Amino acid sequence: MKKIALFLSILLFMGISMANAQTKVLTGTVTSSEDGTPIPGVSVAVKGTTLGTITNIDGEYSLQVPEDAQTLVASFVGMKKQEIPIGSSTTIDIVMEPDVFGIDEVVVTAMGISQERKGLGYNVQEVSSEKLSTKPNADIVNSLSGQTSGVQITSSAGDAGASTYITIRGAASITGNNQPLFVVNGMPIISSGGSGDVGGVTTSSRSIDINPDDIESITVLKGGAATALYGLRAANGALIITTKSGKSVQQKKIEFHTSVSFDEISQVPERQSMWAQGNNGSWIGGNAASFGPKISELEYDGDTDYKWDPNGRLVPKGTGNGVPAKAYDQYSFFQTGVSTNNRLNISNGNDMGSYYFSISHLNQEGIIPNNIYKRLTMRLNATTKLHEKVTIGTDFAYTNSVATQIQKGSNVSGVMLGLVRSATTFDNSAGYEFPDGTQRNYRNGGGYDNPYWTANNIAFDENVNRFTGSGNLNIRFTDYLSLSYTAGVDWFNRRYQDKFANNSRAYPSGYVEEYMNYNGIFNSDLLLNFQTDISESFNIKATLGHNMYETFFKRITGSAEGLEIERFYQLSNSANAVVSTATSNYRTAAIFGDIHLAWNDMLYLGITGRNDWSTTMPEANLSAFYPSVSLGFVFTELSAFEGSFLTFGKLRASAARTANIAGAYNTTNYFYSAGTGDGWTNGAGFPYQGQTGFQVGTTLGSPDLKHETMDSWEVGLEARMFNGRVGFDVSYFENLNKDLLMEVPIARSSGFASVYKNAATMESKGIELSFDAAIVQSNSFQWDILANFTKMTNTVTELAEGVDNIFLGGFTVPQVRAVVGEEYGSVFGNDWYRDSNGNVLINDDPGDNLRDGYPFPDTRSMVPIGNTNPDWTANITNTFTYKDLSLSFLVDIKKGGMMYNGTAFAMNYFGTHKRTENREVYYTPEGTIDFDLTPSENIVVFDGVYGHVDADGNPVSSGQANVTPVVLDEDWFEGNGSNFGGGPSVAAMEPAGWVRLRDITLSYSLPVKNTFLSDAMIYVSGKNLLLFTPYTGVDPETNLLGSSNARGMDYFNNPGTKTYMVGLKVTF
Amino acid sequence: MKKYNNILKTVGLALILMLSISSCEKWIDTDLNIDPDAPAEVPMKLMLPAIEQSYGYIMAGFDLVGTTNLWMQQIDGVARQGHTIARYQLLPADVNNTWNSIYTEIFMNGKIMVDIAENTEGSYSPHNAGVAKVIIGATLGTSTDFWGDMPFSESFRGNENVLTPAFDTQEEIYDTINVILDEAIADLGASENAVDVEGDVIYGGDVDLWTKAAYSIKARHALQLSVINGNAAYNAALAAAANGFASNDDNLEVPWESSNHNPMYQFMEQRGDVRMASTFVDMLVAQEDPRLPYYAEADEEENYRGSIIGSQDESASSLGAYIAGAEASTVMMSFAELKFIEAEAYFQLGETAEAEAAFEAGVKASVERVTGTAWDDEDANYQDWYDTNLGSQTLTLDLIMKEKYIATFGTNQAYADYRRTGLPVLEMHPDAVLSAIPTRFPYSQNEMDYNGNNVPSVTISDKLWWDN
Repeated sequence: MKKIALFLSILLFMGISMANAQTKVLTGTVTSSEDGTPIPGVSVAVKGTTLGTITNIDGEYSLQVPEDAQTLVASFVGMKKQEIPIGSSTTIDIVMEPDVFGIDEVVVTAMGISQERKGLGYNVQEVSSEKLSTKPNADIVNSLSGQTSGVQITSSAGDAGASTYITIRGAASITGNNQPLFVVNGMPIISSGGSGDVGGVTTSSRSIDINPDDIESITVLKGGAATALYGLRAANGALIITTKSGKSVQQKKIEFHTSVSFDEISQVPERQSMWAQGNNGSWIGGNAASFGPKISELEYDGDTDYKWDPNGRLVPKGTGNGVPAKAYDQYSFFQTGVSTNNRLNISNGNDMGSYYFSISHLNQEGIIPNNIYKRLTMRLNATTKLHEKVTIGTDFAYTNSVATQIQKGSNVSGVMLGLVRSATTFDNSAGYEFPDGTQRNYRNGGGYDNPYWTANNIAFDENVNRFTGSGNLNIRFTDYLSLSYTAGVDWFNRRYQDKFANNSRAYPSGYVEEYMNYNGIFNSDLLLNFQTDISESFNIKATLGHNMYETFFKRITGSAEGLEIERFYQLSNSANAVVSTATSNYRTAAIFGDIHLAWNDMLYLGITGRNDWSTTMPEANLSAFYPSVSLGFVFTELSAFEGSFLTFGKLRASAARTANIAGAYNTTNYFYSAGTGDGWTNGAGFPYQGQTGFQVGTTLGSPDLKHETMDSWEVGLEARMFNGRVGFDVSYFENLNKDLLMEVPIARSSGFASVYKNAATMESKGIELSFDAAIVQSNSFQWDILANFTKMTNTVTELAEGVDNIFLGGFTVPQVRAVVGEEYGSVFGNDWYRDSNGNVLINDDPGDNLRDGYPFPDTRSMVPIGNTNPDWTANITNTFTYKDLSLSFLVDIKKGGMMYNGTAFAMNYFGTHKRTENREVYYTPEGTIDFDLTPSENIVVFDGVYGHVDADGNPVSSGQANVTPVVLDEDWFEGNGSNFGGGPSVAAMEPAGWVRLRDITLSYSLPVKNTFLSDAMIYVSGKNLLLFTPYTGVDPETNLLGSSNARGMDYFNNPGTKTYMVGLKVTF
Repeated sequence: MKKYNNILKTVGLALILMLSISSCEKWIDTDLNIDPDAPAEVPMKLMLPAIEQSYGYIMAGFDLVGTTNLWMQQIDGVARQGHTIARYQLLPADVNNTWNSIYTEIFMNGKIMVDIAENTEGSYSPHNAGVAKVIIGATLGTSTDFWGDMPFSESFRGNENVLTPAFDTQEEIYDTINVILDEAIADLGASENAVDVEGDVIYGGDVDLWTKAAYSIKARHALQLSVINGNAAYNAALAAAANGFASNDDNLEVPWESSNHNPMYQFMEQRGDVRMASTFVDMLVAQEDPRLPYYAEADEEENYRGSIIGSQDESASSLGAYIAGAEASTVMMSFAELKFIEAEAYFQLGETAEAEAAFEAGVKASVERVTGTAWDDEDANYQDWYDTNLGSQTLTLDLIMKEKYIATFGTNQAYADYRRTGLPVLEMHPDAVLSAIPTRFPYSQNEMDYNGNNVPSVTISDKLWWDN
């Protein structure tokens, strides 16, 4: 490393000595070709150098250039780049032409290096602020849904503050992080968080701490070549976020944006309303199920001593008080969540500096009572010129995120669990607690929490205070050599209190958990930029850099079960407080270089190299090197294409190696604070009987870990035609991930659960297609289409020796696993018994204990029962603009992908699902179905072949198709027709594709431009207003496990939402 | 030149920055990769309570005791998984947790403790090794009675890259149990011992009590081989029992407390899918058993009433404070069980007087332990109750096994005895998914997934080695 530093400093001094050449001053005015008005803020520079300036408010510039400077380049967002020969003149006026289609666009690439889009040898997509700020999403990741190709986003639930999960071009790691790197203004930030358990609450991903209104643009770097400069942080792609800033030349600008939005539940599983609470056709108060008598045949007895129902017990019609029984709408529990969001920003700038300051406040109310998310953000970006050649800047952001989350999922307090299991005839809303503080619920005190109890007496209160700050220094030594240094921190403190009131079902004696963490990143980037024209046609741009990075995490958790003073949530209010701590800390360092060669605006070559060192790796393998190469060929520069319908065409190809490192503390074994438990209960831990206890960790560390590597390549074709009005971009990519680090599961009989080592390989391949067109383009009316299509497969090709699948998340049965030869993320569970041809066996053996005419589960072992990945995804945005009115809507399509609808499968057992309604069956004295009495709509015939299982457990089948009529009656649903009855998980797998109107926005720009108000816009927008899906549960864009690699699980997930929003934006 | 001075200053600053940050060796400090929150070594006294806690929670929690007591109809499954298991459905995935905990929490940590005790230079501590071996032996014994063949002789060497241990036959496992327990007895009796047994929540470091426990467990498993070994089994059981527990004070029990509740209590509190079974409650009612209010909770009408098997009667009596009290100790092996072992052995050897004495001592020990009231307490008048209900009967194997079934409620012994003797006679669950009560547990999904080549192919209707 010392040698590198020496080399860098030599370069610096060379730069300084070269600064003393002969110069002259160029001046001029830049105007628009459309109306001839001067344009402020245009970048004017000497081609092939970093020597440049920006036009002032009157469109004027003045630039000191070397005597031998050849060409002047003027560029401005939305305008075509202009190149003018300098010659001997000192006054050069420039006319800019609008560039509607972005061919000459400059995009921000890895390490914040700006490159011309047309010279890139890899796919890059950019999402601009307009696409983000009128959406009702607190987390910008949700707003990226449907904006690009190759990006898959899963939000965990409709709760306010719920987490998101994003992958770019599939997963690169088996059990490690698969989400992209987030970089805000050159500073990598923490975006993770929000992964969850099957129970508990949904928590936020920390990408939620970004104020979407602060964002100017997001560049999505997808492939290895695009991200290779990030080396060991590059394997999952990157989101390069640029915030708004004060322009160097502008008048003071104040923007105010206010909006209010309304969230409602989108879809929920359908409940039956025909049958009352009870079992075997009898009403039983407090019974778990709704297999009671017909509701239409019941009335209340009016007994006021019966405390579980204000109307008394249910009795047969004619024997009570005449008040008829009814089925309650349990979903009336959900409310309309009202959110308000106010944002204000002020920016200004002159030739000595600029600033941007913003403040925003979001107050979001969920669809579940008492679920809230509140966010306060502030940001100050400022730059100042110390000297003509020296600029310093700072970038500060503060966020306070406050949330109250409500229990979900597989958890006796889960809102949906208590709600959809609730008996048809029990009114949860008629009070959730008695005066003595005990609970009123449909199980007469047992079972599950009344959802109203949960929403009011169990709270997870979270508070995050976050500060991200960086300073930067830019020095332009000469016209071809400059230096930039950025150092910054991203620090946050997250704390929460998890509170269960006494008499909660999970913690009858009350519970409190206090959590506090400190999470931080330090990052330093030193870049030396070099840029020159070797000849008129040959340009070189190079960067040499150095990076240092440290991340630190420390948490302390205290929990206590058994609160002495009821509902007083303090650790000292219990004799049972336990405390634990955990730490994670590592550092990395890197040197890197990037060279871009351009020849005649036609051929572009990019080469990058990066060497990384990481403290998490063993001594012998601290370091690894990651190269990339990319090539762009703008074939429309060939004379053959002159005058053709093709305005622009480029072929591109690239290849790269990127990586991932081991997490901290994986090179050896440790002991941890001991504890035990079964899958049913909270278990036991330490301290215990006044003792401290330790157990050896169940994961074996390895002293010979290597870096993971991802070898990737992509080819692409980009074209614009018909004067640029129609364009497309198609990419094919392959990523080969190998030596993937994972906890390789081993047989527990070895004494351990897993070995952390380099083991797996995985590949992803895919096609991405983007298309855009200006269909109609007239003065008053415009119709634009933007569409993206992605088809990719992400296949696990190898796990460890002897391991053909591993657990990613879920239950005892089913679970999400990575399975060799299958796409990443298969649901694994029990199947029906099948014959060798895969036909389901329909039992035909009257001698066994299984019902004849019904299928039965194969309990010998778990098998893959469904792929959670889509076949393809697509999205289309149509934008219509008529004068000041604009209508834009985004249709999002996901084809294929399976989901475990455990909610419905469990509802079967409780007799509450609509599917259990046609349960009525009558038998003849001979024991066959009495078709006269049994309603004909109740008769079903299972698909399958007759068969049974022999004494050795082998299937025996004649292959004859089943024709036996049966009824899905109570015995079926309490048996193999539900999870609790022993039914196989495969019966709950449902297709979870969709077509949805993800976003629709209608906006109107008020014609009020005057000296006070320069711009005003009102808009109404909606999210998920239409959803077409074969999935019968909640909105299938959901995940029980939150922001997790294990997707495709729905088990009493809180429902998703549809949202209506109205907003006003004014600029002064 | 002033301008350039400024530039030079700035550049100088940048250089200093660069040089300071490029001292890579300091920045990439590999000592950072040592976890400050987790020790690499711990003393034995911090391992023992963890091993004991797991032993108590896992070997007497719902996964094992719940399942066997359901199958033995001491309890009935009235909802959800409780109902599923009661109907004899038990999947490989259902036993993952138990299998995993046995191997990693109990065996592996036990083995590390033995290694520390025996191989720490200058600090040879056989007493600690002996305690760990008793727990390993007891756990292995109970486990093999569920699974038959198990990995053991090649196990616990994951750190030496032995990742797929072979299975030992149950016969070999039984030999191993005796070897381990004999070693434990020798270790516990060693005169030289460097580090005292500390952190022992079961016997407070009393090596004599651990020795009695080792003998008692030897007796339990000697008797389990009655079908295989005949009279030799009874003689071996009697020989071991002679050195075993001498009173309820010697019981092998794992304690629970307000911050770490009894596992069955937690199950009833957090899941609650089981109730007392009518099979068992009716048996207790018929003999006017004083243990009933401790074994069962009264129902809403203040009656003791079991759920009729398969009726899913949630209003039936819940589990009582003896087995599911918040801070009730879990009885891993009792003096009462030992006396019933003696009673059966004597009975089978034709030594009726000794059998009768042991039988009465077994009932007495159980009643005293369960009710917490002394046999000769005047109000309780247990002797009269015994004479009327049990003492008046002619001692038979049926009676011994029935009373042992009652006395060992809350342990896995009724299921082990049932498969050996077929007693007490039970009727099948009316909604059974099998045609007979399962005779073993399935191997865990985890073992099948990651040690598949070695896992014997079995169904839960297969019989174990000692059951043939």
